[in-house]
Amino acid sequence: MVRNMNRRLYSLRRVTWRFAFLSSLPVLYGLSFNAALAYPEFQQFVEKNSHRTVNCAMCHISENGPVGNGEGQIGSFSADEMKLLNKARGALAPGQDVDSPILNKFGNEIIKAVGKKDFVALKSEPAKLAERLGDKSDLDEDGISDAREYLDGTDPLNKFHGDPAKLFWINLDRYKMHVFLAIVAVFSINYGLIHLIKGVTIVQSGKK
Amino acid sequence: MISVGTALSAISQFIGERFPVDKLNFHSMVEKKEVPIHRMSWGYYTGGLTMFFFMIQVITGLFLLFYYQPTVSDANVSVEYINKYVAGGALIRNMHAWSSSFMILFAMVHLLTAFAMKSFVKPREITWIAGVLLLFITFTFGFTGYLLPWNQIAVNATKVGLQSVEYVGQYLPGQLAEVPKILRETFQGESSVGQSTLGRFYALHVVILPLALAGLLGLHLLSVQLHGMSQGVDQAAKKSEKFMSIFIFKDLSLWATVFLVLFVLAACIPFDSFLPFPLLAPFNALGSTPAGIKPEWYFYFVYYPLELLPFWVILIASMVCVSILIFAPWIFKGTSRRTLSFITILASIYLVVMTLFGEQIYEFFKH
Repeated sequence: MVRNMNRRLYSLRRVTWRFAFLSSLPVLYGLSFNAALAYPEFQQFVEKNSHRTVNCAMCHISENGPVGNGEGQIGSFSADEMKLLNKARGALAPGQDVDSPILNKFGNEIIKAVGKKDFVALKSEPAKLAERLGDKSDLDEDGISDAREYLDGTDPLNKFHGDPAKLFWINLDRYKMHVFLAIVAVFSINYGLIHLIKGVTIVQSGKK
Repeated sequence: MISVGTALSAISQFIGERFPVDKLNFHSMVEKKEVPIHRMSWGYYTGGLTMFFFMIQVITGLFLLFYYQPTVSDANVSVEYINKYVAGGALIRNMHAWSSSFMILFAMVHLLTAFAMKSFVKPREITWIAGVLLLFITFTFGFTGYLLPWNQIAVNATKVGLQSVEYVGQYLPGQLAEVPKILRETFQGESSVGQSTLGRFYALHVVILPLALAGLLGLHLLSVQLHGMSQGVDQAAKKSEKFMSIFIFKDLSLWATVFLVLFVLAACIPFDSFLPFPLLAPFNALGSTPAGIKPEWYFYFVYYPLELLPFWVILIASMVCVSILIFAPWIFKGTSRRTLSFITILASIYLVVMTLFGEQIYEFFKH
C-alpha cells in the first residue's frame, strides 16, 4: 500500500513538474527572444531625422516595448496570445496578414508590407523602411502616408497628429468648402459694417 | 502722523477721481466718447481682441463642458471622445486651444502697448492694475486648463509647476516659508497630482477664474469707458472718431476677420500636433516620465531662464517685474513716452527671443 502511495505521489509530482515546465514555456520563449525583439535602431533614426521625441508606442502596443508584464507585453500573454505572437514571428515574407499582440496597427502593417525577415535586415538602414512601406498606406486617414509619418516622427494612428504644415495644406484642401463659406460670411459681415460706418459718418457730419 | 480722517478723505478723493459720479451715465461713457486717431491707434484694438478671444473661450468651453469628464479615469477618454465622435468636437476643441493662446498673446500685446502709450497715468491707475491682474488670471487659466486633458505632458508639467511654487518657501523668512507649501497642498489636494488636483483645477478653470476675470474685466471696462481712451502719443491727436458707433463697428469688423483666421487654423491644424505624440498619451502613474516635458509656449520666457539660472535669481527677477508692473503708474509717472517705448521694445525682444529660441539658447549653454 505504501509502495502504491509512493508511486502515486511520484506520478503526481511528475505531472506537476511537467505542467509547471509546459506553462512556463511561453514566458521562457518570450524572454529568449526579447533581446532580439527590441529594435532601437528605428526609434533612434526617427528621432534623429525628425528632431521629435518618439517611443515604442509608434509600432508597439506598449510605450515601453514588448518586454514586461503590462498590456501588450509578452509577460502578460495567455497561451492564445502567444500563438498569435508566434504566428506573427513566422511571417517572414511580405504580404501576410499579421495580428501580433505586441504590435499596434502600424507595427502589424509594417510586418505585412515588408515581412519579418526584411524588417530585421533593415535595422542597419532604417531610412529605407519608409521606401519599402510606400505612400499608399494611411492608417489614420489624416492625408499623410504612414511612411511619411514614420519619417516625421508623428503618430501614424492619430488623425489629429502630424506635421503641422503638411496637415494645414491637406486640411485646407479637405475643408475648402467650409473655409470658402466662412470667407463669404466674414466678407459679407465686413461689407455691411463698412457701409454702416459710412452711413453713420454721413449722419454725424450732417448733424454737425 | 496722518490721522484716520485724513487717510479716509484721501482714499475717498482717490476713488472719487477714478470713478466720477457725474460721468456714470450712458451719454458720457458711450455717446460722448471719442477715440483719438494717430500712428498708435492700432493699440486701442488690442484690448478688444483679447476680450473677443475670451468670449470664444467661454462659448467653446461651454460646449466642451457637455462632454468633458473631470475624473482621472475618464478625462483623457472624454477628450478623445470629443475629438473622434462628437460632431464638430475636434473643431470646437481646437478653437478653444488656439483661442487660449491668442488670448494670452493679445493680453501681453495689449499690456505692452498700453505701457508704451503711457495709458496708466492718472486717473487710469485702477484700469492699469485691473489689466495687470487680468493678465495674471489669463496665465492661471492657461496653467489650470493644461492639466485637464490628463495626458503625460499635462500631469508632469503640472507637477513641475506646483513643485516650483513650493521651492519659493526656501527663500522666505520665518513662518512665511510655509505659505508656498500650504498653497501647493491646497491646489494639489493630495500627496501627488491626482483626482483632487484635477477636481480643483477644473473648478478653478471653469468657475472661479471665469468669475474673477468677469468681475475684473467689468471694472477694467467701466474704468476705460469712464475716462475714455488715453491720449497715447505726446502731441494730442488732431483727429478723432466716435466710439459709438464708428469705433465699435471697426472693432466688430476686425473681430470677424480674426474669427476667420481662428476658424481656418482650428479646422486645419490640430493644436496637439505641435507636441511629440508620446506626451499626448494618457497619463500613466506607474510609467516613467517621458522626455520633453515643458510648459505651454507662453511660459517659455520664465521656464528657460529657470532651467539655466539659479531659482533665487528668477524668483527675485519675477518679484521685481511684478512689482514694477503693478506700481508702473507711480514709478513711470514722469517718464517720457519715448523711454517707455524703448523699454517696451526691449521687453518685447526678450519675450520673442525666449519664446522662439529659448530651447536653442538652453541647449547652447547647457552643452
